Amino acid sequence: MKITKLLTKDTIRLSIKGQKKLDAIEDLVDVLDSAGILSDRHEFKEAILKREESSTTGIGEGIAIPHAKTTAVKKPAIAFGRSVAGVDYESLDGQPAHLFFMIAAPEGANNTHLEALSRLSSILMNEEARKQLLEAKTEQDILNIIDSYDEEDEAEDESMEGKKNFIIAVTACPTGIAHTYMAADSLKAKAAEMGVDIKVETNGSSGAKNVLTQQEIEEAVAVIVAADTKVEMNRFNGKHVIETAVADGIRKPQALIEKALKQDAPIYKGNESSEKESTEKRSVGAAIYKHLMNGVSNMLPFVVGGGILIAISFMFGINASDPNDPSYNAFAAALNTIGGGNAFGLMIPVLAGFIAMSIADRPGFAPGMVGGLLAATGGAGFLGGLVAGFLAGYLVVGLKKAFMGLPASLEGIKTILIYPLLGIAFTGLIMLYVVNGPVGALNTGISEWLSGLGTGNAVLLGIVLGLMMSFDMGGPINKAAYVFGTGLLANGVYEPMAAIMAAGMVPPLGIAIATTIFRRKFNKQDREAGKVNYIMGLSFITEGAIPFAAADPIRVIPSVMAGSAVAGGLSMLFGISLRAPHGGVFVMPLVDGNWLLYLLAVVIGAVVSALLLGILKKPVQ
Amino acid sequence: MVEKMYTITSEAGLHARPCTALVSAVTPLKSEVALEYNGKQVNLKSIMGVMSLGVSKGATVKVIATGDDEEQVISKIDEVMIKEELAV
Repeated sequence: MKITKLLTKDTIRLSIKGQKKLDAIEDLVDVLDSAGILSDRHEFKEAILKREESSTTGIGEGIAIPHAKTTAVKKPAIAFGRSVAGVDYESLDGQPAHLFFMIAAPEGANNTHLEALSRLSSILMNEEARKQLLEAKTEQDILNIIDSYDEEDEAEDESMEGKKNFIIAVTACPTGIAHTYMAADSLKAKAAEMGVDIKVETNGSSGAKNVLTQQEIEEAVAVIVAADTKVEMNRFNGKHVIETAVADGIRKPQALIEKALKQDAPIYKGNESSEKESTEKRSVGAAIYKHLMNGVSNMLPFVVGGGILIAISFMFGINASDPNDPSYNAFAAALNTIGGGNAFGLMIPVLAGFIAMSIADRPGFAPGMVGGLLAATGGAGFLGGLVAGFLAGYLVVGLKKAFMGLPASLEGIKTILIYPLLGIAFTGLIMLYVVNGPVGALNTGISEWLSGLGTGNAVLLGIVLGLMMSFDMGGPINKAAYVFGTGLLANGVYEPMAAIMAAGMVPPLGIAIATTIFRRKFNKQDREAGKVNYIMGLSFITEGAIPFAAADPIRVIPSVMAGSAVAGGLSMLFGISLRAPHGGVFVMPLVDGNWLLYLLAVVIGAVVSALLLGILKKPVQ
Repeated sequence: MVEKMYTITSEAGLHARPCTALVSAVTPLKSEVALEYNGKQVNLKSIMGVMSLGVSKGATVKVIATGDDEEQVISKIDEVMIKEELAV
């Protein structure tokens, strides 16, 4: 924004009347009023005077910047006034003021106000600029002088940016095991190819690695954020930021890097207004997915830790945690209390809390947690938790809007009093009186239906889940199936989770086996990558199959989907249930049911995939 | 030399009044005080300098004080940041 957009010939007075502060103010208000900026002259002047009372805007160096933000202003504007003789403006340095910039901002125009101040100050810091303004003969001269200094600043920025070829990126995905790093590798490889310097920060499950420094952020021409979960954005204030899905980082690195070099992206501005922009830019679906995944990725550690501890406690005997049972074992009971009572108990509140936090930032967290706990204790389970998270998040966003007009002096109590109090109260009341009843009934219904499924339907469910797990290998459909499975754990239904994990292990394993058996169909590089896929598959990291699927989707995806469907269906047929949502082969001995049969289901699925790959893929030349 | 980072939480950022408050708080002290934001450093004893940074909500700024009473500078700034509800 240029100053001369706000300051026009109509709002310049080369020589203001009088030598007192009030005269100068009166004169400048007149200028704005006759230029049609004000809707209520009296109210605006009152606001200006009130501001002067709190502390003078005579900031020294002969400059005064009286300003007010009020509803009496129709559109933002700046009036310029000059007094060669000087006005006693009670300035901080005790010297008379010669140059006046009266800034009129309409209510709610936070950034304009701040940006205008910042721009003006940058110009006025320059002694030469002040001198020229004092000597200017006509209104046009004033505009030219201001423009020339305003432009100079911009030109300098541009030339500096033009010289550099350095971009930075952040990658993050909900599970934080594979996609994050694959996107990082893909971006780095493409950047090297294109001769572009890049640094990529990975926000994986083990925390952020290769963290960007303040200096690097400053030097970069643009920022690529390829993430499906929330990443720390405020540090990118003022940079060109391209926000996109993590999958784009893997698939379209070149397009992203080119876009970044051209700075073809909006400049990121912190706080709520940008939050709005960025969610608007992503489609509504993508925004909801991002919020959901922020909840799920924060919930997962509780489910993994808790689930495995519960499963271990069952190894002492299925009722070993029950003091009234002959197989009672105090240690098993302790593990069960830690895992089942507490880690699992936090699952739904954490899910809801982090969904709400993704939507409404920190003020959303507490209402989300409380809503989630109400869902958990009120029998609305996992579904209730989802509702609580989104309810609390959007409710707090609404509260933020509703209290936007609050005077600045009350700003501090918003986050410490108003948002927590009203957010928790409303979320809680809506959960108790509206959500818990019907969602609780629905939740119980689903759980009962799933527990009571006949073998035929159970196998069908396993097949469908299997197909979903392999369709996009870590993408939204895969995550939908996975979230469904982990959610059911909270409701005490464990069979689908087993089917999901079996199906998820199949794609990398199937590919690994295929690269071993059908060597002619893969080049050397693929065969190397195939070996890694054994580990990926055994660890239930479906994403390992992505490079193969991306390279040849038409043959690879149907093959792995078929294998996964077989594994999922068999797991349900064998009646296997799994309390831990992750861990692959390492948690297999912990399943309820015959774990050898479970292993068999996975192996059969993987072999089916491998055979299909062998048939479908063409030999390498 | 002492340094301290602040994250600005005030909705309107460092606009004129808070700038004035910060500058008036440190001007009587002897130390050299600089404010760093977005790679630019300005004299924290100049209102125009501070305002020219255009520090908005959510930004992280660094105060750097050098001199005999540098510790006092930081405690003064802490005081203003809290009183004006500018930062945490």
